[in-house]
Amino acid sequence: MTPPPAQASPKITLERSYTANAQDLWELWTTKEGFESWWGPEGFRVEVRKLDLRIGGELHYDMIADAPEQIAAMKSMNMPTSHSVRARFSEITPLKRLEITHIIDFVPGAQAYENRSRVEFFQEGRTVRMVVTVDPHHDPEWTQRASMGWESQLRKLPAALAARG
Amino acid sequence: MHMDAFQTLADRTRRQIVETLKRGEQQVNDIVAALDIHQSGVSRHLHILLDAGFVRVRPEGQLRLYSLRAEPFREMEAWLTGYHALWESRLDRFDAALERKLATRTAQRNRKEKKA
Repeated sequence: MTPPPAQASPKITLERSYTANAQDLWELWTTKEGFESWWGPEGFRVEVRKLDLRIGGELHYDMIADAPEQIAAMKSMNMPTSHSVRARFSEITPLKRLEITHIIDFVPGAQAYENRSRVEFFQEGRTVRMVVTVDPHHDPEWTQRASMGWESQLRKLPAALAARG
Repeated sequence: MHMDAFQTLADRTRRQIVETLKRGEQQVNDIVAALDIHQSGVSRHLHILLDAGFVRVRPEGQLRLYSLRAEPFREMEAWLTGYHALWESRLDRFDAALERKLATRTAQRNRKEKKA
């Protein structure tokens, strides 16, 4: 599997607004405690080994299956229940903009490549609008899921939701 | 499929051909006229779109008529919807983490005020 050139990828943008200050949101993205409190996918927890918040600084964490069904699923696929993920901070404008570049080096047969996720915060009165821009093709979690065969499950999700009305 | 599908559409001329075919079935000459690109270029890109399953062709007398196939677009949409769902649930966890953070701070502030 060879990743396509960057321009081949559709970017996805997600937006949410919070009645909170930008500092609180910023900390959830840029501190060990904050990042660990939400980043890991369902059934996994994240343990940050290194978080060096400066341009080019390393973000290194372990993604650890911790729900019994996830542990069982990983074992049944002969996959380790924990894997190491490496990234670096490629852009930092405190309280305004952060870019994390993940290094995807776990796809068998593919050369290591990079994925950038960007988050921006816009103060609007008493609320902060958070805008996340991501590239699905190169996303580490998505890639991991695809390599574990979860993609087909996820693709069924929209239909399943529609069926529930 | 997805990597190839997005790669196929990464090319500007191919996207223009797809846009042109949205109007309906057309022959090569019509596409050439609409895009102002040399016929050999259009033919080459049409072949790539045919191979990737984005376009179908049918003969009508001397003409060959090209049109879009819906399937790859539906697949791309389903793939993106699934990916969107993944990030939505990640941001749901972000929301929950923020609520916990704010609740902890409020509780700490209340304790301090009580002590004072």
